[in-house]
Formats: sequence, structure tokens, C-alpha cells
Amino acid sequence: MNNKIPNFIKTNQFGLLILVIVFICIFSFSTDGFTSRFNIYALSRVVALDIMIGLAMMVVILTGGLNLSLGALGVSAAMFGGWCMESMGIPISITIILVLAFGSFLGWINGFVTVRTGVHSFIVTLATMSIYFGFMTLLTEAEAFRKLPEAFTDFGSLKLFNKYISPLLIISVLTCFVLYYIFKYTDIGRKLIAAGANPDAAELSGISVDRMFIYCHMLSGFLAALAGIMLTARIGAAIPSMAGHLGFDWLLPAFLAPVLGGTLLSGGKVTVFGTMLGAILVTLINNGLYLIDVGEFWVRFFLGIILLGAVLLDRAREYFTVKNSIVS
Amino acid sequence: MSDYILELNNITKNFPGVKALDNANFKLKKKSIHALLGENGAGKSTLIKIITGVYNQNEGKLFLNDQEKSFSSPNEAMNAGISVVHQERNLIRRFSVGENLMLTNLPKNNLGLIDYNTVAKESKKWLDIMELDIDPNTIVSDLTVAKMQLCEIAKALSLESKILLLDEPTSSLSPQDTKNLFALLKRLVVEQDVSIVFVSHKLEEVFEICDEVTVLRDGKNACESEQITNLNRQKLVKLMIGRDEQIIKSKKNIDFTDENLLDLQSINTDLGHKNINLNLKKGEILGLYGLVGAGRTELIKCVLGLDKINSGQILLNNKEIKIKSPKDALEKYKIGYISEDRKKEGLILMHDVLSNAGITVWSNLKKILSFLNDSIVYNKVDPYVKQLEVKTPSYQQIVSNLSGGNQQKISVAKWLASGTDILFIDEPTVGIDIKTKSYLHELIIELSLKGTSIILITSDMPEMISLADRIITMKDFKVVGETINNHSYEEMSSSIMRNIHE
Repeated sequence: MNNKIPNFIKTNQFGLLILVIVFICIFSFSTDGFTSRFNIYALSRVVALDIMIGLAMMVVILTGGLNLSLGALGVSAAMFGGWCMESMGIPISITIILVLAFGSFLGWINGFVTVRTGVHSFIVTLATMSIYFGFMTLLTEAEAFRKLPEAFTDFGSLKLFNKYISPLLIISVLTCFVLYYIFKYTDIGRKLIAAGANPDAAELSGISVDRMFIYCHMLSGFLAALAGIMLTARIGAAIPSMAGHLGFDWLLPAFLAPVLGGTLLSGGKVTVFGTMLGAILVTLINNGLYLIDVGEFWVRFFLGIILLGAVLLDRAREYFTVKNSIVS
Repeated sequence: MSDYILELNNITKNFPGVKALDNANFKLKKKSIHALLGENGAGKSTLIKIITGVYNQNEGKLFLNDQEKSFSSPNEAMNAGISVVHQERNLIRRFSVGENLMLTNLPKNNLGLIDYNTVAKESKKWLDIMELDIDPNTIVSDLTVAKMQLCEIAKALSLESKILLLDEPTSSLSPQDTKNLFALLKRLVVEQDVSIVFVSHKLEEVFEICDEVTVLRDGKNACESEQITNLNRQKLVKLMIGRDEQIIKSKKNIDFTDENLLDLQSINTDLGHKNINLNLKKGEILGLYGLVGAGRTELIKCVLGLDKINSGQILLNNKEIKIKSPKDALEKYKIGYISEDRKKEGLILMHDVLSNAGITVWSNLKKILSFLNDSIVYNKVDPYVKQLEVKTPSYQQIVSNLSGGNQQKISVAKWLASGTDILFIDEPTVGIDIKTKSYLHELIIELSLKGTSIILITSDMPEMISLADRIITMKDFKVVGETINNHSYEEMSSSIMRNIHE
């Protein structure tokens, strides 16, 4: 029997792919300019960021936790980068390394506090969100860094593939492949997933669960910082409010992408490419609704509805896992 | 009217690919205790789920008091007077006993608020019937496991149930609690006109309490409503597994004057262990016997670094070691632990067979840059999974879909693959069918013959006496006795019980 094909069709990713295609068709026919070069380029710049913050959330959801500080952390890292380049004159490449290290460090704080106190990461990151953002605002006096090196801002407005695609999207897609490789083909990736799925069993099987959870938070910080750099390059400046107050603007896409993609909220299951497709879907709907001109409020309304739908999907997924196991 | 309160005739139930029940019959007499027996996968749970309305049968009929019934939900079955007391507790731990008992029908006062006086009075009535001395205002989580069990039965009675299904009711009870439970069940049958279906793997209990027996094998009746007086243990086991039971005994000569491999010296722990001294020889099976709550599993967890050891020493090959975590134990000292709770601590149920069997060896197998793929893991664990005859369609099968016996085999396989020198094995055969049980017994003996040293925790006295070379008895977090096992059940069990009750 050809088991391969039906199995792929049953996956969440396939469903998402169909949805993405359906929405592309709908918006292509119902709006002007959806398929224009300008719009596709704009889309690619937005989707690049949504993928990255979706991945940043995904690696913490893996532990059964959340990272609410994602936006605040990303913006703080980006502001640090702006300061490095503009005030300190540090070269771009070294700045990027410093920013990623800084993001990982902030993630480490999240992870360390969560593991040590045993408090749910929801509470911990709610607190650090405020702390990171507050500190950042204090230190920068809410001033933006607008005189960034041209080589850096030029990269953000570079157009590739006949001017259709932003290089930022390539970074995000590459990151997906790297993460996929880590989770699928490394010892450490397997341990991260095992620790997230059943911490007790993983600990007794000789895995240091605390360390794995801290790694997940550090990875989340790393990815959020990367998203911060990408956003800075995209708008050509590091602005404290670029992800909204306390970084709230990032939260909705951060949850939507992994949950739509099939990552279990209770932890222990990741889908890197599902998250990518989830992010694409969210960006498409966002963009399409703007083009249809339904108004800002309706866009938010729809995204909220989609998040609720995705959470119901998550419950259904868990339910069917249990249901299957009853028959033995 | 017939003698039967519940009658199931020619029940067939199909699942995709499996015939779980095949023309099975089950007849429950009024005011009797009826044992429903069978190996895991024989169809017991399916039959119970049909009786309680979780499943519907594909063929066959169900009669309750001579009336044909078909329940479409557990709630309907409950309203018709059928209650199940599960292995897992179904009480809300943070509610009081009274609230739990009255939960489905909480009395209200004129303002529509819960009338707690009536809750207490009503629930007290049922507790009194069971001669249970529990204050209805006690919070459930403050009760002992045994009392919780009894409260569940009280809850079933309060629903005016005439049929009680008890699924492995004694698995977490001490011998004394079990005795009390049985006395109560016998009384309920006489005084409250209740009929009981009793599911257990412990055959001694079946002989002690049941009137009739129905055995299922591969979804069919191996016997139907047989009088218990016509049966003995051998006959019953043969009905269940289709062949005679093999009694396994470890016959080894351990030289107890040998050097100690592992030596615990005056260990005091955070959890309350007092001055624990015990040693393990190479290739020995050291049994740790004790009642539930004696601190055996807790001791092992302290040794593994999960809880704090306050004073005392652990020596491995006469050198003092400090074990910080199970990771430390596995990687530095080659010590492994097979948990008693395979679902929570032993396995990652939502993951597949390959990752569960390979979890202990990933670290050893990883290549440069931590690279590891499925085929590397497969090559390592496949021999052990094959050796243990794990029945699974593929290595990609999700573990929660396997039977309990196969799950247990996988949680053993992962430690075999890791090649540890010392294994702590905790209650290896709880809830496991007889065939797999004797298989695991053989395996444990074989392991020790090959040089693995084993500390075996089990509350199953026959298992302890057939496997252990030496038995240490624990009580209240202290060691209270040590006996070299001569494999004679009468002598050993009485000596152990003496240790416990002195």
C-alpha cells in the first residue's frame, strides 16, 4: 500500500498549505495589486519577521511554557544593536554577534528564573517583559537610533529575485532549515523535545531537564534578537516603539504561527515548517484584509478569531491523541 | 424474573483491525461477587466499557433486570445503577469528602446556594452504611489512598448503584486495607443488595472474595460463570493464558562475603530516611520489601540525586561517590532506574517507540556536532527491542497506543540498551499480564546472571521470593530486617512479616 501519500495529506502542514493556496487565490481575484511586485515584496518583508517571532515562541512552547517577553526582548536587543552601531561605532558584523549574544542572555534570565523558582514561565516572562522594556526605555530615554550604517539599512531594503523577495525572508527560511536540522538530527534537539514532552520521564532517563529548558529560553531569546535586528534593518532605524508598547505587537503572530502550525501548547511537539506556514497564513490574511480595506479593527477581530480557532484545533489534537490510545 | 441482574449475550465488538470481543457472554447474578479475568488485551476493558456505556457493541444484547438496554453514554449507565470504581481515582482532591459524594446532586438552600449542613448529613449517611469513620468535611487529598478508595465506593452507593465494577481496587492498598475492603464488599452484597464485578490480576484475591468467575481470552469466553469452588489457581491460570504457568526461581550462589559493589552507609535524607545501611554485591538481586509508604522508592530517588541526602556515604567499588542527578548516575556511574510509574516517569507516551527506547543512549551515540539520526539509534536499540519481543507495528508507533505489557518492555529495553552495571527496578510487573510477567522475571534473572547488579523493589511477595537473592525489609523509612532468601514462600513471607510487625 502507498502509505506515504495519505500520511502527508493527514498532516497539519498539508491543511495549512491548502489554506495558504486558497487565500492566495481569493485575494488574487478579489483585490487589486495583491500579486503586484510591490505587494509581494512588502509581504516577503513582513512574513520574514512573522516567521522568526513564531519560531522564537515555538521553542518555548516546546517546554509547555510561554515567552510573553518576546517583543520586549527583541526590541531591547535591537536597541542595544542600534547603540553599538551608532554610539559606539562597532562594525556591523560584530554588532550582530553582540546583539544575538545579548538576546540569548536575556533568554537565559527567563529560563534560569523559571527553572529555579518553578513558577510558570507565563508569570516569569510577564515580569521580565516589563523589566526589559522598562530598562530599555530608561537607558535610551525613548530615543530612536536613526543614523545606522548605510550598509546595514541597505540590506533591509535590498530586493532579490527580480525585485520580488527581500533577503530577510531568506534568513528566516534558512533559520527554519537550521532549526529543523537541530530538532531532527541532533542529540540536543531530541533531548529538548523529550524534556518538553515529559519532564519527569526525561529526568529519570538521564536528561538534565532544567538545562534543556534554559536552552529553549536562550534559543527563544536568540531568535527574538535576530527578529529585532531584521526589523531594524527593515525600517532603517532602531525605535523603542517598533513592536508597540511592551512589544505587544509581536505577541499575536508569535502565538498564531506555531499553534496554527501544529505545535502542541502542552509541549513536547514542534513543527518548524508548520510554524513557517502558519506565519505565512497570518501575514496573507493580514495583508489581504488590508487590501480589501475592511479597516484596522476588523483585521484584529479576524486574527483574534483565528487564534481562538487555532487553540480549539490544539485541543482537538490532544483529544484525538488520547482517543487513539484508548483502543489497545 | 431470572437470577441475573445483568446479562450480556453474544457480544462482538470490532475495532479497526481487531476483534476485541468475539461472541462473549457475561452473566452477573444478583447479590454476588463475580470475577472478570483475562490477560491484558483479552477484552476485559472493552467489556467493561460496553457495560458502562463508553462503547456500543457491534453485535449482541445487553439485559439489565431482564430488560434490553443500550447505553449511549456513561451517564446513562450510571443513572441505570451501574458505577465503576477505577484504578485511577476519580475524586476531586481539593474538595471535601461530602462535596465529592454529593457532587452530582448538591443540595441547595432557599437562596440557591449549597447547603453544607445537608451535604454533611447526607454524605454521613453513606459513610455510616460503610462503617467508615471519616468526617465529611475532610479534604480528600488529606485521606490515605485506602480511604480514598472507600470514598469512591461510598460515592457509587450514594448514586443508588446496584452494580459496582471494581477495576484493580487493591493495586495500591496494603494487606490490612485490602482485608477491610473485602469485608466491606461482602457486607454490601448482603446488606445493600449490590452485585459486584471484580477485576484483578491478583488471583489470591479472586479466591478469597469471589463467588463466580468469567475468564476472557482473545475476546472469547475461556469460561463462563464458573463456580469458584470448582477451580484452583493452576486451572484458572491455564484458562487465562491457555497453558500452564511456569514458576520461575532464581537459583544462584552469591558469595555474600564478596566485596560490595554499591554500599550505602548511614544515609539520612531530607525525606526522612534514618540511618540506612545496605550493600549490593556484583550480580546480585537485592530485594527491597515493604508496605506502600515504607520509603523504598524515595530512597532510590535520593540515591539518584533527586532529593537531598543529608549525611552518610555512598560507595561504589569502595570509592565514595556523589550522584548529583540521574544524568550523573547514568553517564558517570552506569546506574539506571526503571520507574514504577511507567506512564508518568518511565515513558514519553506521546513519542514513538524509537525515541523512547533510545533516550538513554543518545548521548553515547552522538557524532560530531551532536549529529544523530534515526538509523544510528535504531541500530543500537533494535537488538534489545527484538530480544524483549516488543509487539509493535513499527518503530514509529506512538507508545501510548501499545498495550501495558509492551510499554513496560520498552521502559526496560531502554535501560538494557544503555548497558548499565547497576539497575534499580521498581515494581516491574504492576498491572502486567501473567505471560509478560513471567517473561520479565526470566529477564531480570538472566540480567543478573550476566553480571548486572539489581535492586528490586516490589510489593508482590511471591515475585520478591522467586527473584531476590537477599531481601531487605523497610518500614517507616528505616531498614528493619535483612534475610538471605531460601525461596521457600512460607518461611520467607513469615520472616518478612515478622520484621514488619515487630
